Amino acid sequence: MTGSTAVATPTRRQELPARPNSLAGTGVLLRFSLRRDRIKLPAWVGGLGLFVVYISAALPQLAPTEEDLDSVVPLFTQPVGRMFTGPAFGMEAPTYERFFAAGYAPYLYLLAALMSIMLVTRHTRVEEQTGRAELVRANVTGRHAALAATLLLATITNLLASVVVAALAISAGFAPTGSALVGLGTGLTGMAFAGITAVTVQLSEHSRTAAGAAGAVLGASFVVRALGDMTATGGSTLSWLSPLGWAAQTAPYVHDRAAPLLLLAALTVATVFCAYLLQGRRDLGAGLFPARRGTAHAHPWLGTPSGLAARLQRGGLLGWGVGIIALGTVDGAFAQALLDAGEDMPPAMQDMFGTSGLLDGYVAFLGSFVSVLIAAYAVFAMQTLRAEEGSGRLDAVLSTRMSRTSYLAAQVCVVAAGAALISAVTGLSTGLAAAGVTGDWAVLGDVGGAHLGLLPGVLIVLALAAVLYGWVPRLMAPLGWAIVALCALVTLFADLLDLPDWLVTLSPFGHLAELPLEAFAASPFLVLTGLSVAGVALAVFGFRRRQVNVV
Amino acid sequence: MQMSDAPVIATHRLVKTFGSTRALDGLDLEVTPGEVHGFLGPNGAGKSTTMRVLLGLLRADGGTVRVLGGDPWADAVSLHARLAYVPGDVELWPNMTGGEAIDLLARLRGTLDRGRRDELCERFDLDPTKKARTYSKGNRQKVALISALTSDVELLLLDEPTAGLDPLMEAVFQETIGEAKAAGRTVLLSSHILAQVEALADRISIVRQGRVVETGSLSELRHMTRTTVVAQTDQPAHGLDRVGGVHDLTEQDGQVRFQVDGDRVDQVVRALAPLGVRSLVAHPPTLEQLLMRHYGDEGTAQDVSGQNVSGQNVSGQNSREQAVPR
Ligand SMILES: Nc1ncnc2c1ncn2[C@@H]1O[C@H](COP(=O)(O)OP(=O)(O)OP(=O)(O)O)[C@@H](O)[C@H]1O
Ligand SMILES: [Mg+2]
Repeated sequence: MTGSTAVATPTRRQELPARPNSLAGTGVLLRFSLRRDRIKLPAWVGGLGLFVVYISAALPQLAPTEEDLDSVVPLFTQPVGRMFTGPAFGMEAPTYERFFAAGYAPYLYLLAALMSIMLVTRHTRVEEQTGRAELVRANVTGRHAALAATLLLATITNLLASVVVAALAISAGFAPTGSALVGLGTGLTGMAFAGITAVTVQLSEHSRTAAGAAGAVLGASFVVRALGDMTATGGSTLSWLSPLGWAAQTAPYVHDRAAPLLLLAALTVATVFCAYLLQGRRDLGAGLFPARRGTAHAHPWLGTPSGLAARLQRGGLLGWGVGIIALGTVDGAFAQALLDAGEDMPPAMQDMFGTSGLLDGYVAFLGSFVSVLIAAYAVFAMQTLRAEEGSGRLDAVLSTRMSRTSYLAAQVCVVAAGAALISAVTGLSTGLAAAGVTGDWAVLGDVGGAHLGLLPGVLIVLALAAVLYGWVPRLMAPLGWAIVALCALVTLFADLLDLPDWLVTLSPFGHLAELPLEAFAASPFLVLTGLSVAGVALAVFGFRRRQVNVV
Repeated sequence: MQMSDAPVIATHRLVKTFGSTRALDGLDLEVTPGEVHGFLGPNGAGKSTTMRVLLGLLRADGGTVRVLGGDPWADAVSLHARLAYVPGDVELWPNMTGGEAIDLLARLRGTLDRGRRDELCERFDLDPTKKARTYSKGNRQKVALISALTSDVELLLLDEPTAGLDPLMEAVFQETIGEAKAAGRTVLLSSHILAQVEALADRISIVRQGRVVETGSLSELRHMTRTTVVAQTDQPAHGLDRVGGVHDLTEQDGQVRFQVDGDRVDQVVRALAPLGVRSLVAHPPTLEQLLMRHYGDEGTAQDVSGQNVSGQNVSGQNSREQAVPR
């Protein structure tokens, strides 16, 4: 209320404001969101800070003097290394700080993007989907208040992340300008993805679809940047097409250029503007597309445990499957570019990898990378069971003749079959693409083996998620995702991060033979598969004993 | 089928705790074959919790439960083939049509009777081709109801099944429950709509704070509570409060008003007759009045009378004023 209304006559005070304020209540909502996230956000920012501290402490362990770094440099500078780190600026004269910026800072950007995607979805679409937003909007809150409060929250969080990352990098003895660029790169990448998510949450009524769409943008950005950076040291045109590439293009501690950060800022502004426009055009709780009618009768198979499971898992399988297969195919199609890039490597490095060794390494890397993604799909798919239970739909289903054993077993089997299908099809399509560009048809079998050989690792992750669901469903999401993160960490960085052995042995993928670099080993393959089956049995045993939908 | 008199539902000293909350605190409930049993009680009394224990979704912490002669926790699946459940707050799969959800649940229960399903869709005026997320609350409720009513089961567990239905649909619902009863089904009906319970229930159990505090047929329950009497007599009637069973007697303008225990009405009328009765009005307690004795805390019960209960036409101003005898 402004001062002029306060002194107005009583009748004037009753009047509604002439122009409804679409941002009314933003401040209250922001304070409320800060309180709701009082643990989550500090944990995220603290986690990013810890990452910086860990790397700056671990680097002198990896290479006691900066001269020793020369021997580790190929990890980042060879094409496959550049794929999963970045453009590798300044590696001809490596220092700890340059090493940090080239090999590890890109993961700060990735994590900030993930953090922002989850933050924005949680405070916008999830609220609408559960109907809580309706309660809030029925009060004196404007149409855009929730979105504005969420974006302010994202800004505060990302600003905090920037400051923490930069400060810790400087305190590790890294140059201030470069450290500031890494910090700002982290925060602004986070903001850009907050903006992108603000758009995707307008499109779908379902929070999972909205988060999935933002995740798909992130995944595509990762792939585009990976392929762009693989093609040439310092990146190529493709690297500049990906929002994830921009922060790396500031070349901290080497060229120290701030201009690419403007691209991130511009993307943030553009997406936020777009989100406000879209929100103004839709109803609360609705997506942008109206619902269609469907069939009046159910197909008979829907009335069976596996039919229900297939129906519930269909959407997730389709989304993840298409994404992973596309990613694999594109990666496969870049096999020749990799070989070309390899030819430009210094002779010393060529000795290390060799031309055929380079391709084998690439194929093995793709197999591991895709398998970790499929493990992530499995954990994601198991979360649907939590949603079924929390909504009360499981009550309705279990109050029929369907036994708990058949319910859970059917769900897990459908997810397992889906994971195997994604793995096989991705292996095939990647192999075909790689064979097509290189003209070497032997690579087809190698790629297939690299994918299917790691399938038991995926199954173990799935079984673990199932066991958690059967015994302590509350822990399925946090522990399930922690296992996936661990697998990713170990698969991608076991060498880079100098991880402790006990951590490496925790990842199931490490126990399996890495085709085609190693020969197929039947015993770990069979043991892990057997353990997965036992895990599912244990999960069913727990699920039969526990109560349904009790907090 | 073996038709015995063994109760369809029998719980004895049933206890269910959630951490420090005692949701069920020694609940005794008995539902006999073929009856419609009304299950009433204030919010949070433990009705839904009881239903979920009866379905084997929650495990009892104490006492015994038998449903259709079996243990709902151990024999869940075989029992579920013989019963159908309608929750009070129906959540459907957002991407399925209502028709698909009806079929799905009915098939999971056993076989689907297409003809009966289509007939019920018609009677309940439900368009089964719409996606579940586009349904209104009442229509979501209809989906669960139709699915349960199509199934050929012995027991219907209905937890506030008509929350959100319009009066027309409420009538259809009462009709279909009548048919279910005629077909020999047993129904446990939890509801806040007293008119519905009065119309349908053969017997009623009132639950409060996890315990059944009253159970019996409506007339038995009425008998146990007080009737309100307003009379005009030629001679003053203040001596009446010496008669056993008369309470809260007031006199105004030659009119006496008092309450009398259900089993003492006879004596009181005899005592009244010699005084020259010019007019006499007696209100038997409405279900609302019965409930008001149990809802709310003893001390504050007076304040809540007539306000917290909806769906029931209170018979008159007088009875509303005197809703709470104690
Ligand atoms: N999962 C749970 N965890 C903790 N407490 C619970 C849980 N479920 C129910 N309760 C508690 O148990 C008590 C009984 O709840 P219940 O849902 O059975 O009430 P109700 O009689 O169905 O009420 P209403 O008429 O509002 O539907 C309440 O105090 C409730 O808070
Ligand atoms: Mg309830």
